[in-house]
Amino acid sequence: MRPVDPALLRAVPQARRPLGVLAAVGVAQGVATIGTAFALSSLVVAVVRGAPVASAAAYLVVVMVARAVLSFVGETVAAAAGTTVSSALRERLLDRWLSAPAEDRPGSAEAVTLATQGAASVEPYVARFLPALVTAAVVPTLAVVTLAFVDWLSALVVVLTLPLLPVFAALIGATTRDATERRWGALADLSGHFLDVVRGLPTLVAYGRGERQVRTITDVSQGHRRATMATLRLAFLSSAALELLATICVAIVAVTVGLRLSHGSVELGTGLLAILLAPEAYWPIRRVGAEFHSAADGAAALASALPQVSRAQPAGREQPANRPVSDGAEPPSPGKPGNWPKTVVVQGLAYSYPGSSDRVLDGVDLTAPTGLTVVTGPSGCGKSTLLELVAGLRTPTAGAVRAQSTHLVTQRPFLTVGSLRENLTLGTGPVSDAAIWAALREVGLDGVVAAQPDGLQTPLGDDGRGFSAGQRARLVLARARLADADVLLLDEPTAHLDDESAAVAHRVILDLARHRCVVAVTHRRELLSLADHHVALRATAAAPGVPA
Amino acid sequence: MNRRSPRILAAGALGATALGSGVALTATSGWLVVRASERPVILTLLTAIVAVRTFGMARPVFRYWERLRSHDAALDDLATARADLYAALVPLTPARLPRRGRAAMLAGVVDDLTERVEAQVRVTVPFVTTALAGLATVLLCAWVEPAAGLVVSGLLVVAALTTLLARLLETRSMDALVAARDDVARVTELVASQSLDLQAVGAGGQAIEWVRDAQRRVARASRVQSRGRAVATATLPLATAVATVGCALVATRTDHSAAVSALLVLAPFALAEVFGTLPEAARAWARASAAERRLSQLLDERPGVAAPPHAAAVSAAPVITPADRKAGTHVPHLRLRGVGASWDGRRTALQGADLAVAPGQVVAVTGPSGCGKSTLLAVLARQLDPATGSYLVDGQDALGLPVERVRALFAVVDDEPHVFATTVRENLRLARPAALDQDLLEAVGAAGLGAWLAGLPDGLDTRLGASGRGLSGGERARLSIARALLSQRPVLLLDEPVAHLDHPTALAVMADLLAARGERSVVVVSHRPEGLAEAHGIMDLTRTTVAPRDPVPDAVPTLP
Repeated sequence: MRPVDPALLRAVPQARRPLGVLAAVGVAQGVATIGTAFALSSLVVAVVRGAPVASAAAYLVVVMVARAVLSFVGETVAAAAGTTVSSALRERLLDRWLSAPAEDRPGSAEAVTLATQGAASVEPYVARFLPALVTAAVVPTLAVVTLAFVDWLSALVVVLTLPLLPVFAALIGATTRDATERRWGALADLSGHFLDVVRGLPTLVAYGRGERQVRTITDVSQGHRRATMATLRLAFLSSAALELLATICVAIVAVTVGLRLSHGSVELGTGLLAILLAPEAYWPIRRVGAEFHSAADGAAALASALPQVSRAQPAGREQPANRPVSDGAEPPSPGKPGNWPKTVVVQGLAYSYPGSSDRVLDGVDLTAPTGLTVVTGPSGCGKSTLLELVAGLRTPTAGAVRAQSTHLVTQRPFLTVGSLRENLTLGTGPVSDAAIWAALREVGLDGVVAAQPDGLQTPLGDDGRGFSAGQRARLVLARARLADADVLLLDEPTAHLDDESAAVAHRVILDLARHRCVVAVTHRRELLSLADHHVALRATAAAPGVPA
Repeated sequence: MNRRSPRILAAGALGATALGSGVALTATSGWLVVRASERPVILTLLTAIVAVRTFGMARPVFRYWERLRSHDAALDDLATARADLYAALVPLTPARLPRRGRAAMLAGVVDDLTERVEAQVRVTVPFVTTALAGLATVLLCAWVEPAAGLVVSGLLVVAALTTLLARLLETRSMDALVAARDDVARVTELVASQSLDLQAVGAGGQAIEWVRDAQRRVARASRVQSRGRAVATATLPLATAVATVGCALVATRTDHSAAVSALLVLAPFALAEVFGTLPEAARAWARASAAERRLSQLLDERPGVAAPPHAAAVSAAPVITPADRKAGTHVPHLRLRGVGASWDGRRTALQGADLAVAPGQVVAVTGPSGCGKSTLLAVLARQLDPATGSYLVDGQDALGLPVERVRALFAVVDDEPHVFATTVRENLRLARPAALDQDLLEAVGAAGLGAWLAGLPDGLDTRLGASGRGLSGGERARLSIARALLSQRPVLLLDEPVAHLDHPTALAVMADLLAARGERSVVVVSHRPEGLAEAHGIMDLTRTTVAPRDPVPDAVPTLP
């Protein structure tokens, strides 16, 4: 595994600086560690010889102050680097998904996992594992090099024994890997059990099964303990073996130093220094192993996130919904958008969902000028898909779409947690309160909103909770009214409304269509009767369509 | 539940032996090297050589032993704590759990419990270990030279104070950080799962701004939090250095042998490694305390239903005999008169509700959000005690009947049905453990899942949930309905069962449900009138009385 994938630095440029600082601090800390060994050995020598200790003591304190400052900076930078890199990665992922057509996005569940847990697990990877890695690379090297100058014999011993550690670690890893992997699946099941039954607690209590579950929980948790301990025993044993190995290696250095000291072939100061430096060659390597366990998730998340964010970017950075989707023939002149006819032109359009060869749309032609165009057709004939294609949210399998900036009102009104104002101004750009109230008045909701104690600040729950289905449908119509898009695409805008509110909504739609191109998919006859143009879609080849 | 198990303390003692061996290793090595440089007869060094070797071996061995014991004890405690927590949650369910975001909240409870139990390994063990190893070093130094012992004990006090300071700093920003992280997770989930909707209205840029805002708050809070750890990691080595110099000064002012002087200088310095675990332990401590606080807040709630009624009421309660229930014949007559209720004892959630449900009737409850629709169902299902008014089951006061018996009349279907990570069979049988496969198949068919089941690779043995097959929203709702039908409970309470479903699916689910209900009564709360043309009464809670059958507003799409 590569410690830092260069792709990360390319895809997340914000990572460069903190990672650079981290590396620099790591190197400085390594130097300070070596300095400490010198200071400490000279202090001990001074004490032993009865010489004045002041200068050695001052040296030690200065080095330790330097280490304290470096530790403080290192901790702070590491924490900041962790959040910076994971935040930047998350932002790049989301930004990329928001500017990609639906086919280029991972599935919803996968996307959520990658952007939440995945990006979060990068944080300990950067904040803990990478600094440990820097230390592991810097300190042993410095220790061996210093030893070579101070006492080449000890350096030789270290150089000869140091490779034993990784070799030994690999050997232990190879013998335990199978056992660990075998247990891993079972372990995940067992540890998930409690979360599962707690989440399902309301269901279990509703059927009077809550009390009985307690016994099962104890049994499963004990099973979990046994399985975990079996895995942990191996892990602990291998780390104990490595520690023992490191201790033995240090002991070999100490024994040779001791023998040479007692023969008088080496100075006390040199001998002490060798004994203090030798462990520094072994320790950091072991710490990397320990930190790696907490970083494994982060490494895996990086591996799956990087291909997503390093994929080629679309040229522009605008929102796709507002970007004219063009076949390249006649790009709309950006200079005078007001004069450009607000139309949608669809030619020979075909679409099949990713991973499927069946075409939901095939050879669709449609021209919708300014005014109201109503699209009808049997259920499942691809009406919603057509609107998504016109909005540029999907890439046609064949054919071309030409449309100005679009605003699509989806079949299920899209409202989210936040205030009414936030919801009504989603994608509209800056809008005055007066304009919002005017739009609400037109959809007949001004009274309802004014009656709320917080007015436009009224919080909306998830999915627009707090408002009825009919009100939600009218809220998103008000938002469409506020949007400055040239083309409005409405997917079943009045399906959930009673006749009276539907009539209000239809009036609003008709009014919108006076200056813009409005394409509406509907089952409602009333709306069809108001249309300037009517397009009847047929079901594709297999099922004969029943045009409305 | 917050006891410090003696097994954890024993593990701490093992850990202290390991760390103490480390200190002793450094100290005796120093002694040995200095003594060797005086070129004595080799034999006089033998004891020290054996000691160095022993300490060197003891450190990894005792560390291994400590980790094994502490983890085993913590996992054992976790098993007990989980069972205890579950038992404590049962009476609080569902009335004391938030109605929205309940699954996320319960997942948080699981994390908090783990955090609290793991604190034994991540907080108690390091503290015990450090304290004991530190004390042993103090004793060693004091035995050699009392003044040095004093210096080292000063170092221990500084280490303890630093840890407390670190914990304080961490705690101060803990809530802000947790809230900010939750916010990032919420916004991220929204953006990642609804990219298409956001693109549709051209709100991609705004969505990224939301994420940025939330992440900026995380960065701020984490900056503040990292100070705790940074202060500890900086202070501890510095204090160790000062103590080392102090001991060096002590050694020069006394007339110990050269080797013993070396020991006096190196022993306190070796404590730096002992203190290495403290910053992390301080953070874990702060987190565990926060988890503990959240858990006790929840568990201190009073159950939504008062203690079981007194014995007299139990004996006079022949409402439904078990035989009735088994046969599924007796459908009770339900009557609410002027019922008011409150979830928190302060705000009234339902006021003066009158409702009568004759056996076999379908009653729809409508009304604006917050008018108490769900509260009404909770009172009917005996999940929540009414504050005022009376609730009669077959003419008897429901509050006088055993809670379990009244609850057993109702099968509740809400809009967040849980699918357990087990087989289809077990997912259904929780509603009626004695059910045979034949019963399961009937219920599945009646709930409109027959074709779905037929398409499953292993039929009833197919695994669902987290590690198994995913279910669509409609399948989930239908599974919940199949459970309700299987349970043979005589009254179905439906709380917005189709709120998450698209229109045609909602219509189909409701139609199938009403067709399959048989003799059962149904009380349905919905703001969508799908498929309720059959309702015998519409109760508009803004009027709080059941209106006579009036036509349901026709919002069914008019198909051309």
